[in-house]
Order: sequence, then structure tokens, then C-alpha cells
Amino acid sequence: MSHMANPLATPDQLYKRRSFSSLPTELQDAIFFSAQCLTQAAGVLLQLPQSATAQANVVLARYWLVEPFMSREFSDVSAAALYLIAKVGPSPRSPRDISNVYAYLLSPSSSFFRPPTSPPPANDPSAYYLSDAAYQTFHNRVLAIEARILYALSFNTHVSLPHSLAITYLQALDFLGARKETVSKRVVEHLNTALLSPQMLYLTSQPNALAVAAIYNAAKDLGAKMPECEWWEVFDVDREELGFLVVGMRSVDGWARKMREDVPGMKEGMVTRRMIEDEMRKRGLQIGNGHGVEEESLDAEAELARKMDEKIAQMEADA
Amino acid sequence: MAGTAKSRWANNEDDAAQEAQLKKEREEKKRLKAEKARKAEAERQAREAQTQANVARTAQPRDEDEDDRGSGPPAKRRRLSPERETRSPAPAAAEQDSGAASTKLLRFEGGAFGRCRSVESYDKLNDIEEGAYGWVARAREIATGRVVALKRLKIDPKDRGGLPVTGLREIQILKDCDHRNVVELREVVVSEDTSKIESIFLVLEFVEHDLNSILEDMPEAFLASEVKTLLLQLASGVAYLHDNCILHRDLKTSNLLLNNRGQLKIADFGMARYVGDPPPPKLTQLVVTLWYRAPELLLGATRYTTAIDLWSVGCIFGELLTREPLLQGKNEVDELTRIFALCGLPSDETWPGFRRLPNARALRLPPPTPSSSGSAIRARFPLLTAAGAGLLSSLLALDPERRPTAREMLAHEYFAQDPKPKQEAMFPTFPSKAGQERRRRKQTPLAPPRGGQVVELGAVDFSGIFSGRDKEERGGGFSLRMV
Ligand SMILES: Nc1ncnc2c1ncn2[C@@H]1O[C@H](COP(=O)(O)OP(=O)(O)OP(=O)(O)O)[C@@H](O)[C@H]1O
Ligand SMILES: [Mg+2]
Repeated sequence: MSHMANPLATPDQLYKRRSFSSLPTELQDAIFFSAQCLTQAAGVLLQLPQSATAQANVVLARYWLVEPFMSREFSDVSAAALYLIAKVGPSPRSPRDISNVYAYLLSPSSSFFRPPTSPPPANDPSAYYLSDAAYQTFHNRVLAIEARILYALSFNTHVSLPHSLAITYLQALDFLGARKETVSKRVVEHLNTALLSPQMLYLTSQPNALAVAAIYNAAKDLGAKMPECEWWEVFDVDREELGFLVVGMRSVDGWARKMREDVPGMKEGMVTRRMIEDEMRKRGLQIGNGHGVEEESLDAEAELARKMDEKIAQMEADA
Repeated sequence: MAGTAKSRWANNEDDAAQEAQLKKEREEKKRLKAEKARKAEAERQAREAQTQANVARTAQPRDEDEDDRGSGPPAKRRRLSPERETRSPAPAAAEQDSGAASTKLLRFEGGAFGRCRSVESYDKLNDIEEGAYGWVARAREIATGRVVALKRLKIDPKDRGGLPVTGLREIQILKDCDHRNVVELREVVVSEDTSKIESIFLVLEFVEHDLNSILEDMPEAFLASEVKTLLLQLASGVAYLHDNCILHRDLKTSNLLLNNRGQLKIADFGMARYVGDPPPPKLTQLVVTLWYRAPELLLGATRYTTAIDLWSVGCIFGELLTREPLLQGKNEVDELTRIFALCGLPSDETWPGFRRLPNARALRLPPPTPSSSGSAIRARFPLLTAAGAGLLSSLLALDPERRPTAREMLAHEYFAQDPKPKQEAMFPTFPSKAGQERRRRKQTPLAPPRGGQVVELGAVDFSGIFSGRDKEERGGGFSLRMV
């Protein structure tokens, strides 16, 4: 039993995602990034331990390497991953709580994914009030996706996080002579940012490597002194992987900024399937290109489910 | 000559400088390694303490190595034992000491992830068990011809909480385990129509028998040497589980499988869970089938330890000797009555602190006499050696603190004495009902229903349970009722 290893993406899985999806890379990345941010925001509002939210982030990333993006609404998948991880862990959350939090985050009342410069949105509780029927359909979707996630991951929900490992390493390095709190905080920030990286760093590297890269970056940020030897080897990380991760972690911020400009929808709240479809249409692209048969039928099936949801919501609104 | 010497000397000086630098680096690394090992151990302990329920996800190995659905059989799982998979700094440090030119880095193996395969990869051969809530069948993997057992996870489609957390734990724990005395989970498969995940099957290695069926059919009891082999294997599996912070919580003969090579496998992890050390503050008392349930559970403890599994092991020990379940209570109170009749009444001496347990507060006990607090185990098992009776009595100690751990049990002198444990390969074979025909339903009580209600014990008069043993006790009985 290892407490330190994770299942990783195979080169084949990574290649397929990039090469055979009908979605252009930057749209894939926009979906990935915004769903990961949404998951973290929901984790905060649900007062879940940071570790649970981070595990949900990783499970979500794994899921999308197995299942096509467009088969389910992104926010639903995020909610289901969070629900599942909370459920099998020490801090379960009720479907009701999950649904309330997601309804709020996706409503215009939440400042989630709106430019920080714009004035805070007016709080309009009716915008995130969920009718019973709407709650039931959301709940149904979450349960269906929960089962789907388990299926896609062969029922393996285990995630080893690098966070506590990183602190252990820092201790071994005497906190690089820096203030313990400062450097630890910086390391954790790098690790959490890495969860958002569309390079899916948690699926390409083991926790020890992520921990070392975060320490390296934190040391650089703070101008702290690192040992003169190739200290990463002590933690079984080679220079090449370290270099990849260091750059990967550092590029998330700038990359996110640029993406907000490239993907216009990202300024208007959480990315949705509708937004992606509109964007594809605008670009003259077709969804379904390059998808396998299964993926297409899944899309059709999901489309039907969505239409029914909308219909019920509409009926509810009319009533 | 002198020139060469000088230049050689100079060279050496360079070398020495370089050597010194390298040495410094090596020492730095060594220091870090040692420090890291110390910290890692400290962290491991801290983590274990903190994990509690969390352990189920944060402290487990990943050892999946399964192919995509439909693309043939899953590759044999890469199973890595805790020892092998935990990085040990020692060998690496030693390598550096010997001045190896290139550093060998340890690679972590966590396997890959991907979809489940379909149950259609298997052909059903026959039902093994079809009961109140379980379904287990013998099946053959089409691609390889290998015979397996399929166990369907109990799913309640009306459960608005989604897939049962107990089933998810059962899967995760079995995935994490790798021990010869724990049944192997080969993969998890789902029904063919994956648009809706309705049926989930655990694909387990097929094991010909379960101990309960064997015991029911045996014309004669196991030999002492056979009992020892079975118990050693059981203790070894339980020790592995406990070492990895897993409580089984439903050990009984029908959950112990035995193959035709005399190998025992612990099965049915439907009640199992990870617990940290110290264990979580509150656990459900609704665990363990009544006849194997420890007295602290019957008295309502919600903080309990690995010792509850050892109580069950004690009950199994007794059952192996007589072919009869040891403590066949009709209900909770009757179970306690039988326990006290066999093991003696609890006293502050034999079980300090038992009065603080929820259901014990109202327990009115007669003043202890040597006969009422003494154990009747020797009398009940007259053929058992002193060492055997000693082991059985210690497993059935009322006070959980006084039960041996599974590791301690392995070292018990009972196993060293003659007759020696029989070699597994020399075990008699039994006709496999699982392999041939549908199994008879057994008359053992079912495991407690998940999410069920704690049973109220009610006020019951226990007077008279020792009347056969001790005349003065008559009329001075005790009663137990729920507070
Ligand atoms: N791997 C296996 N090979 C052969 N037979 C098995 C195997 N696993 C289980 N069985 C048979 O099926 C019976 C029931 O299996 P198991 O105990 O795992 O499920 P269960 O009792 O239905 O579960 P629960 O106790 O959670 O309700 C066992 O007593 C045994 O006879
Ligand atoms: Mg069973």
C-alpha cells in the first residue's frame, strides 16, 4: 500500500485528448480551467477541507481524460466530483447543500468568473433560488454523473496529494532559511495553482515531483537559498521533470489571463456547453468531428437529457 | 619524471578539490535523506492519526492497471506491497556512499486509470449465493477462460445519496490490499448498458469453499493441526489488515474462504473501513454479525478498536473446534448472556471501565464470586491443550485491552506446540458446492443492516444463568436494560 503514488495519465490518453477531440485546444483548456476554478469556489463555500477540494480537482481532471468534455454540463461534472469525494471522505455534504452552492455560483449574483474590475453584482436571492423540481433534476444529474465518474475511473477515487509531503520536504530543507509560514504558504499556493493547469500536472507527475517543483518555485519567489547540490534528487525527482513542472506551474497565471481574452465567454460567468457550442459555430467548426461513435451517441443522449431538463425548468417557471 | 610527478600531484590536487566538493554534496544529500526519513516517519504517524475516515482516500495505494473497456482482459494488476512501495531512503543513501556515478531515482508506480469493463466479458457459470441482500456467482472470463467469482454490489436505486458508501469502501479497500490471506479483487465491471450504471460487480478470485459450508458438511471435526493452520492464516490476514488501519468488522466463518490448496482468504469487506490510530471518535455499533459481536459493541461502545476483530477470531476458533457457532444468541441480550456465561461476569477487575459503556450503566451485577467471574472455556473445550485454551481465553477476554493483537497471536506458543500446524498443501479437499450446485441457505443471522437502528436491549432479568454452575448465585442475578 503506497501512501504516495497516484495513477497517472498514459501518453496515449494525453495524445488522444489533444489530437482527436473536435474541440480546439484553447476551448478544452477554457472548460478545464473554469470547471476547476468552480470546484475550488464551491469547496470554499461548502467549507470542505482544502484536501477534499483538491482531490475533487484531480478526479475531475482524470474523468475528462477518459470521457468527452461535451457529454455533460461542465458545472454538473464539477458538482458530482465534489459530491463523490466529500461522500467517501470524512466530510460528506448533502446533495441539497451542493445544489444550493452551485446554484449560487452559477447565478448572476455571484462574482465568480466576472472581471474583478467590474462592480460587485447585486445580490438577488431569487436568481439562485432553486425550485423543488429544479433541485430534483440537478440532484438526478449529479447522481448519474457520480456513477459515470466511478465507471470512467474504474471505481478508483484515491488521490494522493503533494501538500503534506511538500511540508515534510521543507522541514528537511530547514525551510530554506526562510520564515516557515511564508515559505509554506507560497508552496501551497503553487500546488493549488497547479491544480488549475490545463497541462494537467497532477496527472503527469507523482506527488513527490509536484512537491519539489512547488518548493523550487517558492524559493525562487522569495529569493530563498536552496542547497547547492542537486537536492531534488534526494526526493527522487530528476532535473528534466523538475524543469517541466517549474515552468508548468509558473505559466498558469499568465496563461489564464490570456485565455480570458481569447475566449470571450469566460468573462460572463462559468463556461457552459451552450457557450462552447456558440463559439464553435462562430468559428465554423462542428462538434462531433473526430469523435468516436460512442462519443456521438453520448452527445445525443446528453443533449436529450438537457432538453428535458430545460423543459422541466421552463414548466416550473411558467407555473 | 619530476614533472610528471608534479603534474600528477597537481592533478591530484584538482581531484581532491573536486572530490571534496562532491563529498560535501554527498554529505548534504545524506543529511537530507536521513532528515527526510525521520520526517517522513513522523509525518506518516501524524497522518495516520489525522486520517480517520479520511484514510479511506488519502492513505491508499493506487494499483490499477486496467485496460480500456473492451480491449481485452485487464493486465495483471501491478501489486506492490507496502514494504516495496514505500520509498526507503536506506538503499539510495547506500548507493551514494559507494560513489555510484549516476544517481538512481526511485520511481513511484501508481498505475493508470480508465473505464471499467463490461460484465459481458464474463460468462456466468452458476450461482454461488443468492440471499437476502447478496448475489455471488461463479463465472468464466471469456478471453482467458479463467474462473472467477462475481459479487454484485447491493445498490438501492431509490437511495437519493447515490452509490452506497459502504460498497465504495469495500471496493477501495480490496483494491488496496495485497495479501495471500485476503481475497483478491481483480477488477470491477458494470452492466453492458453504461448510459446508466445500475449493476456493479466485483470480480474476485474464485475460491472453492467458505468455511461455514465446510463445517456444516464435515462428518468429523478438523484435526488440531488443521485448526492451527487455519487460525494462523486468519491471524496473518487480520494482522495485515490491522497494520494497514483496516477494520474488517464482519469476521465469521461464512466470510472466510478456503481453496483446494488449503489457503484461507478473508472475504466480504462490506462492513470494513479504514480507521486512523487513534480511531475516529465515533463509529457505528451496528457492525459484526450477532454471534461474532464483541461485548463492547453489545454494550454500545462507539469507540472501539481492532480488538473487535480479535473477538470474532476467538468465536471462529471455537467454531473450528466444534463445528458449531460458539455463541448463538437469539438477540443482543441473549448474546450477552451467553458471553457472560462462557467468559464470566465482567467486574472492575476483569474489565476496568466497562461500567462507562452506554448499555452497561444499568447493568446490575451480583457481587463477584470466583465461579461467576471465572471463565468456563476450559470446561467447554476439554480436549484443547492448555496453550490452546489460553489463546482462546485471551481472544475472548471481555476487556478488549486484554485481547492479543493479531501479530501477538501469530507468535503464540499454541502454534509452536505439537501437533504442528498442518502444511496447507496436505489439507484434505472437500467437494466444492460453489463449483457445482447452488448453495443451501444457511441459518446464521444476517449481518446488521446498513443504516439500521440500534436495537434496544430492554429490561431483562439475567438471574439464573449461573444457576447450573453456582447454587449460591440463584436469585442474585443481574439485569441489563437500556438507559
Ligand atoms: N471469491 C469467492 N469465491 C467463491 N465464493 C465466494 C467468493 N466470495 C464470496 N463467495 C461466496 O458467497 C458468499 C457471500 O459472499 P460475501 O460474504 O462476500 O457477500 P455477502 O455476505 O452477501 O455480503 P454482506 O455480508 O456484505 O451482505 C460467501 O459466503 C461465499 O460462500
Ligand atoms: Mg458475507
